Amino acid sequence: MKRFDLKSLTVPQLVERFSALALGQFQAELFGKVRIYNRLYDDIVAVKDELKSRAGDQRSALVSLYTHANPQVRLLAAQWSLAVERGAARQVLQDISDRNIYPQAAYARQSLEALDRGESKLI
Amino acid sequence: MPAADLDIQRLTALLVVEGGLLRLKWLAAATHFEIAMHRHMRALKYGYNSAQPRVPRGDPNGGQWTDGDANGNPVARSRTRLAGDVPTNDRPEIPKERPKTSGERVGWLKAAARMAAEQGVAAAELAKIYPWMTYYASGMQSYTDTPRSLEELQSATPGPGYDKHHIVEQSQAENEGYSREAIDSPDNLVVIPRMKHWEINQWYQTRNQDFGGETPREYLSGRSWSVKQSIGFDALKRFGVLKP
Repeated sequence: MKRFDLKSLTVPQLVERFSALALGQFQAELFGKVRIYNRLYDDIVAVKDELKSRAGDQRSALVSLYTHANPQVRLLAAQWSLAVERGAARQVLQDISDRNIYPQAAYARQSLEALDRGESKLI
Repeated sequence: MPAADLDIQRLTALLVVEGGLLRLKWLAAATHFEIAMHRHMRALKYGYNSAQPRVPRGDPNGGQWTDGDANGNPVARSRTRLAGDVPTNDRPEIPKERPKTSGERVGWLKAAARMAAEQGVAAAELAKIYPWMTYYASGMQSYTDTPRSLEELQSATPGPGYDKHHIVEQSQAENEGYSREAIDSPDNLVVIPRMKHWEINQWYQTRNQDFGGETPREYLSGRSWSVKQSIGFDALKRFGVLKP
């Protein structure tokens, strides 16, 4: 199937798409739709890569999702912008972990531990 | 404390939980809406004209393109709103009836248990609003357990709301030739809250940035028992089951 043409989208549209895909993952996790969750992973990475390829590395635009109402959106925005917004992104991950919001807290802890060990695949 | 005060406190707590559930349901609806928005964006690229009026809802031809409404006037476009701002005055109906599929039941139970744990509300109280959850109350209550030591988890007897959990996943270990003795040894078994068990099992199957995009199960395929065990302990800690 032809992939969605991300090149034609503006940065705000890419951020909006990122948020919609993360919400889809949130719902998929809740209702046990593992295949959908895993398929959305590729779509999310594609948006992240597109943001990265834009002039000045626009992954920093994901900062606007750090205060999103949904924890999956916040988690993914923080994880995928760690490379460019390390301090602020780390704080978002720490907040999710501290508030014991599951399952996102478990994913956030894994990312934080990898960062502390200097083995993060996200930076 | 007077009984009336307790009742008010309980009611307030329940309303908070109900609000959280509504929020989740709204977010689900918002996701569908946002997907529709993306289809709309794509349609724009292929010459779609948003100004072209459509027959209003309620008409037998509702939604079809038209030159105007019943009076020949263009149809007004309603204001839209994207997910992110959760409207506080939205009150969609909560599934008070038992959801038909097990997937839906598990999803709503997880959502309810997570909200109850966050708000410190007892499962029995929640079951008063959603009677179909009564059957699952023990599983929802155990979800609020605080982390325990490995000794406590290994020596516990599985009661209602708890499951036996293999620290090294049994199906993968068996496929890779490990003996049932090793897989079912007391060292590899812990008793954990049922819904935590569900969450961890699902985590093993979902793709993960910190495993380079693989699922934990894929990452562990072919790796040693000690690596599998180490990841198993990490999962128990990160999901708040095992004390760090």
